[in-house]
Amino acid sequence: MIQVDGVSKTFSFPDVRRETLREHVFGLFQPRHFRVLTVLDAVSFEVKAGETVGIMGRNGSGKSTLLKIIAGIYPPDQGVVRVRGPITPILELGVGWNPELDAIDNIYLLGSVMGLSLGEIRSGIDDILAFAELASFANLKLKHYSSGMAARLAYAVAFKAVREVLILDEIFAVGDAGFKLRCEERYRELSAGGHTILLVSHSPKDVATFCDRALLLEGGRILMEGPGKTVADRYLNLLTAHGDTSPEADS
Amino acid sequence: MALTGADIGVGTDQLGRRPGSMTGRHLGGLAWTLVRTDFKTRYHGTLSGFFWALLKPMVLFVALMSVFSYVFASTPNYSLNLIIGLFLWDFFAEGTKTGMTSLQAKGFLLTKARFPSWIVVLTSASNALITLAAFFLVIMTYLALAGRVPSLAAILIFFIYLAQYFLIVLGISLGTSVLILRYRDLNQVWDVVTQVGFFIAPIVYPIAILPERLHFYLYIWPPTPVIQFSREVLVSGTVPNMKANLYLACVTAAVLAAGVFIFRRYARRAAEYL
Repeated sequence: MIQVDGVSKTFSFPDVRRETLREHVFGLFQPRHFRVLTVLDAVSFEVKAGETVGIMGRNGSGKSTLLKIIAGIYPPDQGVVRVRGPITPILELGVGWNPELDAIDNIYLLGSVMGLSLGEIRSGIDDILAFAELASFANLKLKHYSSGMAARLAYAVAFKAVREVLILDEIFAVGDAGFKLRCEERYRELSAGGHTILLVSHSPKDVATFCDRALLLEGGRILMEGPGKTVADRYLNLLTAHGDTSPEADS
Repeated sequence: MALTGADIGVGTDQLGRRPGSMTGRHLGGLAWTLVRTDFKTRYHGTLSGFFWALLKPMVLFVALMSVFSYVFASTPNYSLNLIIGLFLWDFFAEGTKTGMTSLQAKGFLLTKARFPSWIVVLTSASNALITLAAFFLVIMTYLALAGRVPSLAAILIFFIYLAQYFLIVLGISLGTSVLILRYRDLNQVWDVVTQVGFFIAPIVYPIAILPERLHFYLYIWPPTPVIQFSREVLVSGTVPNMKANLYLACVTAAVLAAGVFIFRRYARRAAEYL
């Protein structure tokens, strides 16, 4: 279903960053030094239809970039991504709303970007608000929302928009225990319903329970590939080896 | 113009659609949502908020009118030409300003899912278009009060000019919307350009006061031909000659083509620069 073939991605950061025309004009004759950061280095793997695959890795190992490339938000520098089905990415959902609009209008914006038709949004809006437990705040502008409320709303919209392939970044890291439970339940439904799921998580427990298979990314390469439990254990080893003992800490 | 699946080597699904591409109906829904929420954000969801958008050029008109109608007292139809010029200019200035920052402002959507981002640039001009529609009514009223109701044919030709004007604004918006992500001070540069451009276009002064040999240079600035030709059909009731119309069509095509070219080149990586 998802075929990632030799995907590489580098970001180059100049030592002195020029973001403005003024800097470009005045810096014309100064030599520029770039630091090239290889975020992904010839990553290849495959996800079969109906499979749930987890991706683990420390901060900066390239997980989020990989998901963005698969979702088509970033283009890869090299390599090819083939996805044989419509994708619903659930990425960085905690941030990014129009703060001046209320929940309903923001649902319309995010929903239509995620490929829902106006009719689908209209008929699903009560479900979405109920899932996020925000029905009583439907007309409140997003700027007055707490970050937890905003994130819940985003997940609720995305779960409504789910199509064949689902890409999840840190899905179970949001909200209180009750919301987490609802997410997990919805997630099990989707998985049982034959959706293909790619899931990034820092929680060894989640990867071990939910994933058929998992990948461990380190420094932009796939360090290992195997059953969820094995990869989760290796991930924990990796963290302790680097003196970082808080697997849940990530943003 | 949209990013297609082929660009990043994404295959097609069973239905032959590319993932992330949208059907016309979905795209229409997205466009409508963007227009609706833009209007709401800009004018706080009320028609009285809309009043402010009209107030600015109206006040400018009255202010300029009260000074320059004495300076150009001998110029026939000065106030009619002034109001047409000012309102058309306002559309240009507002449209390019919001168009340039459209991708930046909607960045929170661009990083969420893959969708044709040109729709964001296209719909960013909607507020300026709504204002333009109101300006049109004001201009028509003003012409009627002056006893110069334009013929239906003249209004039709005026609309053709407006369509070209819109495409010029769209072209500039497409190009600058991706460039500003790399050059963060492009809006400052554009502020200067529009400030100078206000005087390059013969808005407050009749073009005839400048020597003939300079006219050519004024006409290179796209708003100039649109403003001049619109005045000609609406106020004088004459139609610019074929050569003039052809020139405007070429300017429109060139600006739009340049915008589309720059956009296609840089839009792919837009999300990385947000």
